[in-house]
Amino acid sequence: MEFFLEVLVGGLLSGVMYSLVAIGFVLIYKSSGVFNFAQGTMLLLAALTFVSMTERQVDFKIAFIITLVMMVVLGIIVERTVMRPLANQSLLSLFMATVGLNYFLEGLAQGVWDSAVHGLELGISNDPIFLIDELPALGLDIIISQFDIAAAVIAGTMILGLTLFFQYTRTGLSLRAVSDDHMAAMAVGIPLNRIWAIVWAVTGVICLIAGLLWGDRVSVSFTLTAAVLKGLPVILIGGLTSIPGAIVGGLIIGASEKLGEIYLAEIFGGQGIEHWWAYTTALIFLMIRPTGIFGEKEIERV
Amino acid sequence: MYYREAGRLVKSFASDRRMLPLMEDRWILIAFMAFMYIVVTAFASDYLFSAILIPMMVLGIATLGLNIAVGYTGQLSLGTAGFMCFGAFAAFNLVLRLDMYLPMAFFLAGIIAGIVGIFFGLPSLRIKGFYLIVSTLAAQFFAEWVFNAYPWFLDNNSSGVVALPQHHYQVFPFQELTPLNAEFWHSYKGRYLLTLTVTLLLVLACKNMVRSSTGRNWMAVRDMDIAANVIGISVAKTKLMAFFISTFYCGVAGAMYSYCYIGNLDFMIFNLRRSFLIMFMVIVGGLGSILGSFLGAIFVYGWPILITRMGDFIFGGGTLDTAFVENNSKIVVGTIIIVLLIREPGGFAALWSTTKQKLRSWPFAN
Amino acid sequence: MSTESKEPLLVLEDISLSFKGVKAITDISFNVYEGEICSVIGPNGAGKSSMLNVINGVYIPQEGTITFDGKQFNKMKPHTAAVMGIARTFQNIALFKGMSVLDNIMSGRNLMMKASFWETALNIGRAKKEELEHRLEVEKIIEFLGLQSIRKTPVASLPYGLQKRVELGRALAAEPKMLLLDEPMAGMTMEEKLDMSCFIQEVNRNLGTTIVLIEHDMGVVMDISDHVVVLDYGKKIGDGPPSEIMNNQDVIDAYLGVSH
Repeated sequence: MEFFLEVLVGGLLSGVMYSLVAIGFVLIYKSSGVFNFAQGTMLLLAALTFVSMTERQVDFKIAFIITLVMMVVLGIIVERTVMRPLANQSLLSLFMATVGLNYFLEGLAQGVWDSAVHGLELGISNDPIFLIDELPALGLDIIISQFDIAAAVIAGTMILGLTLFFQYTRTGLSLRAVSDDHMAAMAVGIPLNRIWAIVWAVTGVICLIAGLLWGDRVSVSFTLTAAVLKGLPVILIGGLTSIPGAIVGGLIIGASEKLGEIYLAEIFGGQGIEHWWAYTTALIFLMIRPTGIFGEKEIERV
Repeated sequence: MYYREAGRLVKSFASDRRMLPLMEDRWILIAFMAFMYIVVTAFASDYLFSAILIPMMVLGIATLGLNIAVGYTGQLSLGTAGFMCFGAFAAFNLVLRLDMYLPMAFFLAGIIAGIVGIFFGLPSLRIKGFYLIVSTLAAQFFAEWVFNAYPWFLDNNSSGVVALPQHHYQVFPFQELTPLNAEFWHSYKGRYLLTLTVTLLLVLACKNMVRSSTGRNWMAVRDMDIAANVIGISVAKTKLMAFFISTFYCGVAGAMYSYCYIGNLDFMIFNLRRSFLIMFMVIVGGLGSILGSFLGAIFVYGWPILITRMGDFIFGGGTLDTAFVENNSKIVVGTIIIVLLIREPGGFAALWSTTKQKLRSWPFAN
Repeated sequence: MSTESKEPLLVLEDISLSFKGVKAITDISFNVYEGEICSVIGPNGAGKSSMLNVINGVYIPQEGTITFDGKQFNKMKPHTAAVMGIARTFQNIALFKGMSVLDNIMSGRNLMMKASFWETALNIGRAKKEELEHRLEVEKIIEFLGLQSIRKTPVASLPYGLQKRVELGRALAAEPKMLLLDEPMAGMTMEEKLDMSCFIQEVNRNLGTTIVLIEHDMGVVMDISDHVVVLDYGKKIGDGPPSEIMNNQDVIDAYLGVSH
């Protein structure tokens, strides 16, 4: 029982990490209807930039700020050169543009930095803590990593901030309008270009935070882009347009993945089921709710 | 252009329906086929066969398969390599355990991949749009896992890769009595001919389907499935049919990839990266175009080779290392995709049509 | 142009339709007789399009029954409607934008094409025969609608009026018993409207097709209809021949004459 809870909690917390990646997707999708496939590579770029500075003994805070600026600039450049010219084309085209962008950034990143693995230290200890201190009533001995908790807290704060931003500020309202129908938004005078620039800049920031957290956890290398693949089922379950959905989806995928790995691996014989298991979980959820748990149903009028 | 459609009147619906209505086009095609079958077979080097011709054709078929699902029917699929994997393993096991002839094995491998495709295509009846990628991605990862986890499929070969033996290459009965024996079919020349013939047949079949009610149903579902339903098209059947045929093509491509291209059975090469690569080929070549599928495959596959050759030519052999070529290719292909989408969403196929259109009025301005 | 005094082709009884609490149609009943042109009119938002959508199964009413050609349905499905011989056009044009005019109209004949995909892949047997046979019929429609010069043009590049004509062609291709036309003349010039009215009348006269149409142009409605049904706020406020409707006070108040 203890083991089960440990695995479960571990899964939930790692799920929060997935949510971090997912939020970036949701943000851009929510405000422009574009599914940004280049998210993973942007994450990697953020982590690589940061790491290559800290490795050269640059101070943490300065490295952070420089990377932040770079990511924001990158976001704005992408919006201007890729998204804007494609603004009046189909969403499929926009998605494919981000796929192309992803490929481009991959080549760029690999060209500028090599494929070596870089370690990343965020200064958050990875020591396990005993949950028994927190839950004396349950009398259980559960070990969770402090890092995971810190990541969960950071992610949670970010998500809370973003949700509040979308719901209660005017810019948030504009963003939602743009996501719903960007032609109509333009018609009522919402400055589309500025909004998209903001969105991509914010995404850059999210990529930075997520990239740093992930980088610490799994070290910075090209496998980081695989974080995208984990983020996908998360948002598909939660709904492409829902930030809370990203959290819920993350928790579900994280938990089911860890549990599946431990308990199902025996049935299916052999390891490595985590990928297709995550996607199968997402598939099952989508069959019940085809647009995700919190996603918006697309209404087609004839 | 020296020849064009203007002034030639068709006298029957049948002649209007011809694949190549212009007589000159037909002559060009015959000449091209003769060239490919006779001249190339006789004179091309092994390098040309193994590194250029065969892979471009095989990847072209895979791209065509994906195009059927995405370009013609509008169903997003990212599991292309996974379906190819099913095809490759099916063919291998059929030949290994049932002593099947290769062409038959390819065909059945396609059918098996097609059935898998229907299974993973079922969610498309309920899930629409972008969310659908979850199903084909599940197929992709499942394929990557299942052939690793159950070594039986690999004939319990511990190294994970099986070199396909010569005696597998049985193409027709009593072939050992002719010069076209297993050794011939195992050679690059033989593999080239096999690939060429299969490719030709599959392209022909696809062209026929696209021009007929099958193709119209696909496109109707792609363009507006509610309207398709209203005019009596069964959207469910059409989608599943599209998945079946699409994955059939991918399955045959996978079987050919193993038997004709690399000569090994190796599930590691049918990974997600390859699925994306084929998706790039579709985008670059043109959604919903048969010619586009091959143009895209040729470009995306051929670019790194071109760069390497040019580098060797300009700077002397071996200066451009593989990492550089790889990164360069990614940057170039990525940029081309974006530029194409901005300027010409129809891909190379559309560029070709526009060029033809301009040539029709050349030397006069449009 | 006479109203048959036998069983109506279409009977709608007590249809009620609501969308999450908003009632679009409340208790509407009316009959459409075979061979007649029945116009459904009313102010915007009265529920006319919804009514048409109910008839061919795009929307499912919460209450009421639909009887078509003697068969009764609580729930009509679009596919069933098509099989039973109901074809329609849409307010916002539901053409297949990726295909040509010819292909769009050919797709209207899909229910009559029985070839399996094997046959189409090899271009043998039924596939070949059907393509040519149905092409002949489709060409007749193309000629009727004057679309010969644009038959190979992709519909997306056609002007609005022509697109509407192509959509009519696709509906006609199915050789339907009943044609539902949702604002077939919306956004058209005088000349285009004249053409469209002629097409509709000819189809009705020569093929005997029953037509239910939604239309705002009162001149057209009064001119070509045998039977007019008036809706307002989801309820039926008039049902009868044009002359009667024109003098119906409720109808005048709601729609024809007095402002709300």
